[in-house]
Amino acid sequence: MIAPIDNTAGLSPALAAVLAERPLAVPPASVSQAAGPSGTAFGSMLGDLIKDVDARQTQAADSFSGMLQGKEVPLHQVMLQAEEASVSFQLMLEVRNKLMDGYQELMRMHQ
Amino acid sequence: MNPTSSISGLIPGARLAGLALTAEQTRIEVIGQNIANARTTRTSAGGPYQRQQVRFLDAIRMSQSGSNPVAAPGWQVVKDPRPPVMVHQEGHPDADATGMVAYPAINIHEEMADLMIANRAYEANLSVIRNGRALAQQALSIGRR
Repeated sequence: MIAPIDNTAGLSPALAAVLAERPLAVPPASVSQAAGPSGTAFGSMLGDLIKDVDARQTQAADSFSGMLQGKEVPLHQVMLQAEEASVSFQLMLEVRNKLMDGYQELMRMHQ
Repeated sequence: MNPTSSISGLIPGARLAGLALTAEQTRIEVIGQNIANARTTRTSAGGPYQRQQVRFLDAIRMSQSGSNPVAAPGWQVVKDPRPPVMVHQEGHPDADATGMVAYPAINIHEEMADLMIANRAYEANLSVIRNGRALAQQALSIGRR
């Protein structure tokens, strides 16, 4: 059971609107643009995360090709970078899954 | 390794262990060099090859501010001061006036023991990385249903 929520002050505007049983003021596509508590737009934070993951993947691929081209890159360093890229990709995937779960939960409440 | 990255320390202990792996790799290479030059009687610097060894420094450590390890090289290749072994071998191109040849003071058994120690140290650091990866994946599973 979910306890009734009285105070919606700390919630993002989209979530507060749903909890107040008002129709969403913003279309679902722009939910990610809502400002978080710190003032940073969550959308841009997510974009940064994706850019970071992409940079890691590129870096790992560069190390791999550098090693294959005969540059003096230690094998363990290449594998470490590949592994870090893999873990950061999984992290991004988990964030995305959480986001989708939250979105679907909201849409279910809206019906 | 990647100072511009916004997320760091994804795999606990991996960067530090990576530096240690590089240090151990240097040690293994130096041991290989000693074994390869065990009978080298003449070098470009003159005299027989001088045995080298790796001294580890305290540079492999966490920085004061946080979890980013110091990336400075944490080792030093130093020469073994032991004098060369003199062997009587007349007719050798590097023999002196009395027929003595200076061979490097390298004991192959000592080198093999060092190699085993370096191998085990490398494996130990690999274990740290494997452990860190398993921890990272378990931490990611917190969010799963």
